[in-house]
Amino acid sequence: MTILQLQNVTGGYTRKPVIQDLSFEINKGELVGLIGLNGAGKSTTIKHIIGTLLPRSGEIRLNGVTLKENLDKYRSSFSYIPETPVLYEELTLKEHLQLTAMAYGLDEKTLDARSEVLLKEFRMEKRLNWFPSHFSKGMRQKVMIMCAFLVDPSLYIIDEPFVGLDPLGIQSLLDQMDDKKRAGASILMSTHILSTAEKHCDRIILLHEGRVRAQGTMNDLRKAFNMPTATLDDLYIAMTKEQDNEQHA
Amino acid sequence: MNSMHSVWAKRFEHYIGEVMKYMRFVFTGHIAIVLVFIAGAGGYQYSEWLKVVQPDFPAEWLIAVIAGGLVAFSRPVTLLKEPDQVYLLPLESQMPNYFKKALNWTFWSQVLVPVVLYIIAIPLLKEVTPLSVGEIWLTAAFIAVLKYINVRAEFNYRYANRGNAIGFDRFVRAVVSIIGIQMTLTDGFLGIVFLIMMAYYAFTLKKKVQDNPVPYEHFIKLEQNRMMRFYRFANYFTDVPHLKGSVKRRAWLDIAYKAISYKKENTQAYLIYRTFIRTDDHFYLWLRLTAISAVIAMFITIPFVTCIVAGALAFATTLQLKYALMSAGDFRMDMLYPIPRDTRKQAVAKLLRQLSIVQAIIVTLCAVMQPQFYIIPVVIIAVSELTMRMSK
Repeated sequence: MTILQLQNVTGGYTRKPVIQDLSFEINKGELVGLIGLNGAGKSTTIKHIIGTLLPRSGEIRLNGVTLKENLDKYRSSFSYIPETPVLYEELTLKEHLQLTAMAYGLDEKTLDARSEVLLKEFRMEKRLNWFPSHFSKGMRQKVMIMCAFLVDPSLYIIDEPFVGLDPLGIQSLLDQMDDKKRAGASILMSTHILSTAEKHCDRIILLHEGRVRAQGTMNDLRKAFNMPTATLDDLYIAMTKEQDNEQHA
Repeated sequence: MNSMHSVWAKRFEHYIGEVMKYMRFVFTGHIAIVLVFIAGAGGYQYSEWLKVVQPDFPAEWLIAVIAGGLVAFSRPVTLLKEPDQVYLLPLESQMPNYFKKALNWTFWSQVLVPVVLYIIAIPLLKEVTPLSVGEIWLTAAFIAVLKYINVRAEFNYRYANRGNAIGFDRFVRAVVSIIGIQMTLTDGFLGIVFLIMMAYYAFTLKKKVQDNPVPYEHFIKLEQNRMMRFYRFANYFTDVPHLKGSVKRRAWLDIAYKAISYKKENTQAYLIYRTFIRTDDHFYLWLRLTAISAVIAMFITIPFVTCIVAGALAFATTLQLKYALMSAGDFRMDMLYPIPRDTRKQAVAKLLRQLSIVQAIIVTLCAVMQPQFYIIPVVIIAVSELTMRMSK
């Protein structure tokens, strides 16, 4: 079953499009990695999916609806963890969780039950009444992660999740992602850490200069590049070289 | 050498542009009007007081302490920026050219304050001292020269010691400057001795400067703090975009959140009430305007004037808070929440209504002794409501 569907999406900030003719799908229970160089269009793609940028042409469907057709359903269907944590400086950790729960219509019992588990998992129980100004970069990231998992949506959109997290934090995040996947949620994760992506993703989308260069499982990609024993790092380097050669030819 | 001059020129142009941009708002804001009134009333009081001042009034000491203190307080304006500690490193040997420009600007931008204050005090000097006009103006020049040396001394001290124990350096320079000015006003040329002492002090520090690398970290921190203070000040009059307001818990106001029950419709209210109470900028804006309104209501006995002022301040409170709370600047997570778009607007309106009622109660209580005080709350609440509806 398709959760997220992008069809020929073109868009960007200015008149010059950053992403061009982008099409891909994410199915129920799938963890998909969005991989690309700096400036390849990963963040722009994500901004189009979460709806802070609107596509110039093409269509994005989440749980069968576009943002315009049903704003409430579209927005309830995903939660988002940005690359740099975006917190309310005036709210405590506890209030961040409460606010998120209110916005997504969780009742108080569910809020308490879910946040207890998350706080324990990310070792933040003792910081409930702290303000973000006292948090390190990693802790801020954890607040975002907890808010996202609290909602329990059908799609998680995670931008560069591993930067700034300590090894225990990374493990907790991967565990949480695994749990959610098994429960049927889909995850779109953009990252530079290719070894982790290779190990955990069901499918990979290689983005280069705003276009989908290749997509599929690791085996699909190896076949496409004709490199049967390659790692994702190898494939990635091969792809960028190939592109350079094309440009110079 | 030319390159350093053009670096400075570019910085300076940008800096002046930035200052002008915000000063426009300062001079057209509500506090400018209050300041004009205060200056007018102060000038009148001063001229009345001059008529009755005692001949033994210690004018020389008073002027020496004020002007001397200001002269010693000579924080250098270097306009250095954070990336400089990386990019300007290879140009270390040319930095003296840059700092020469910086110190000239520091002098000219700071010399006005003590000199203008001194000029304001001239009528007093004429009244209580036997000084001739020539001697009075000579002291003005003396203060300017003293400032020039102090600017260099403070810069050299900070350079040589990376700002450590700057308070002690300032104290010593303040004492020498104060005595110097006092001497010039009473014993004429004896003040020159203190001028020479100060110049010698600045000169000895200069030698230490030549042996040390530029203390970028200290000067950049200093510059950042200075700009921050300016932006905070400007923020009283307009919205400064890159200013992150400081936040305080204010736990004694937690009771205000009780009224917002836990349900989806209240999401934005939950956020907005906390944002207002805990963000210093918003909270103190409201407090300041309410306090001005209350003080005026307490002391002015003409109901018409009180109502005009209370109305004007209610207008300013509602408009400024509305803009501050509705500004759609950076990305916030609530922009993704599955809640209708206009809930934020409704939450802000609810908060502003309640704030106007609280303001009305405070101002009315302060005006209870005045005739027809009962009109005031009607004016405040009506103006506030109209402002909210009519503004975009």
